[in-house]
Amino acid sequence: MQDLINAVVDMKEDEALALVRKYLEAGTSPMQVMDAYKEALGIVGRRFEEGVYFVPELILAGEMMKAASEVVKPLVKSDKPNAETQRIGKFLLGTVQGDIHDIGKDMVHMLMEINGFEVKDLGVDVPTRRFCDEALEFQPDIVGMSGLLTLSFESMKQVVDCLKEVGMREKVKVIIGGGQMDEHACRYIGADAWVVDAVKGVKYALKWMGK
Amino acid sequence: MIEGWQKMSASQKQEVFLAKWASGEGIQFADDEAKAAYQHRAGLIKDAIQLKKAPKRVPIVPVTVFAPVMLFGYSAKQAMYDPHIIGKVLLDYSRHYDVDATFIAPMIMHGPVLEVLGYDLYKWPGHGIREDQGYQFVEKAYMQAEDYDHFIADPTDYWLRVWFPRTHSALKPLAQMPPLYGTMELPMAGPWLCTLGAPPIQEALKALLEAGRLSFEWIQALGPYIGQTFGSGYPMCAGAATKAPFDTLGDSFRGTTELMMDLYRRPDKVLEAVDRIVPLMISMGVGGAMANNNPLVFIPLHKGADGFMSNDQFKKFYWPSLKKVILGLAENGCVPVCFVEGGYNQRLEFLAELPHGQCAFIFDRTDMARARQVLGGKSCIGGGFPVSLIITGSAGEVEEETRKLLNAAAGDGGYILSIGCAMDEAREHTLKAFIETGKKYGKY
Repeated sequence: MQDLINAVVDMKEDEALALVRKYLEAGTSPMQVMDAYKEALGIVGRRFEEGVYFVPELILAGEMMKAASEVVKPLVKSDKPNAETQRIGKFLLGTVQGDIHDIGKDMVHMLMEINGFEVKDLGVDVPTRRFCDEALEFQPDIVGMSGLLTLSFESMKQVVDCLKEVGMREKVKVIIGGGQMDEHACRYIGADAWVVDAVKGVKYALKWMGK
Repeated sequence: MIEGWQKMSASQKQEVFLAKWASGEGIQFADDEAKAAYQHRAGLIKDAIQLKKAPKRVPIVPVTVFAPVMLFGYSAKQAMYDPHIIGKVLLDYSRHYDVDATFIAPMIMHGPVLEVLGYDLYKWPGHGIREDQGYQFVEKAYMQAEDYDHFIADPTDYWLRVWFPRTHSALKPLAQMPPLYGTMELPMAGPWLCTLGAPPIQEALKALLEAGRLSFEWIQALGPYIGQTFGSGYPMCAGAATKAPFDTLGDSFRGTTELMMDLYRRPDKVLEAVDRIVPLMISMGVGGAMANNNPLVFIPLHKGADGFMSNDQFKKFYWPSLKKVILGLAENGCVPVCFVEGGYNQRLEFLAELPHGQCAFIFDRTDMARARQVLGGKSCIGGGFPVSLIITGSAGEVEEETRKLLNAAAGDGGYILSIGCAMDEAREHTLKAFIETGKKYGKY
């Protein structure tokens, strides 16, 4: 399915969807189609790291994957065993209390799933206590907090403090992401890493899981 | 109208307008000392911008929105519901922090007006967010892809009859209003006039009337405090604001997600739309500057930052229309002050295209040493101080970082000490350390 992978990587939306339909009609399994998309998005992610692709390409690639999922979804039998790649780790994600920005978070969600993580996305404006309670229940390997506004520093710090209180801090890695994140914020918040773009965040996550 | 204005070059017009602003003409000063202080502060900024000579010291202009409110112990909600609180904070902040230009107090805006309009474009304290938080933009695709042609053909008509109804719930009925054009002749004026009388549209117009009345009352209350602040010797950091056309389209109309995909799906429409917006943004900036007798026009830059698009995409979609707005403002004697959010490390060479000494760039996450290298002697630069240190650091750390920044960026003039983010929060001890270090070590 190299032609499908190329179409996605080259941002050719209509061509990619036409190829999806062609392959499905020819009897290709839905899972193989989605694997092709995952491979394509991996290439898109690498091009982002290399400074060839940027936010428009990440967004469009995500949309193309969503469109393909919509076509594929009805064909995936519910009693079929989950043939997806074995999950390499669990990732709890949300935009912290007080902040409603979600574009970066949604990109992280998509890329982390493609890279084999089980993602629990709490949405935006997530109350501190909820972040903590969900961490206790979900038992993630990594907690990812997103925030664009400077008020997110305080919310993120409170989440980390709460994780310490409930005995989770030593069990997880904490990563913070957003336009104003830097080493000062990271130190104040008590996170393990800070990033200003989604792809770098995924790299940290993979490194922590030994991949 | 100033004699010979039309024949002047952009630089000449800017000199006239800046000189008028820096003189404090028209301001009732508390005393001669306040007048001298105002002229001194505005003069520092004028010298930094024009690059003709180094000012006596680096002008210090932290850019803020809600931070002064929080610093003086009020909640964002209190400020958004009482203009006297904004006014008192404006006076106290300007004097206590002794900045060289103070914040644009009217940007705090007035909650009751938003309630009457059914304003959906932002969440504001007590309406969707906590009372201690400043307002937050609710970005969505308010403009659909099929709307491009209408927007391009007639932005005002689109704004009034499509965009208002989608963003201000009290104005939803305006979607039923026909366009104005029939009013050109009496026989054709009927449809518009009659529709104006339809009960839902009457209610929408009443909401507008009430919003206007409340806003007028609000600015009447806030105005004297602004006058008093000027009279105490503190200029305001801008007289008007406008936007890069791509940001206008991306922030308030298509939304980031849809617009970024439009670069692939309908690039020609994007180009037509941003070009169509250029004259609107110029007239918005010029009109505000003239009305407030302050040539500085604040332009926050959003979606062209490093990482948001490639240099090729920036060159094609973002830069040309922004450059036209910057040049258009300068042609009218205004001084564009771009607030460059995010990083512009990959874009500095574009900014270097602009004429000498006609605009200023306040940076956020751009490497300031590089900014100095590329833009020093061409355009005034500023900012580059991390807001994270103001919020999480110590006074000592702030002093050290400020000195490093001055060494890297202040050069032999053409630098404004500022913080890279329009602050909604701050801490007194770190902000004071920032300002005092600037005054102590920022002398030329």
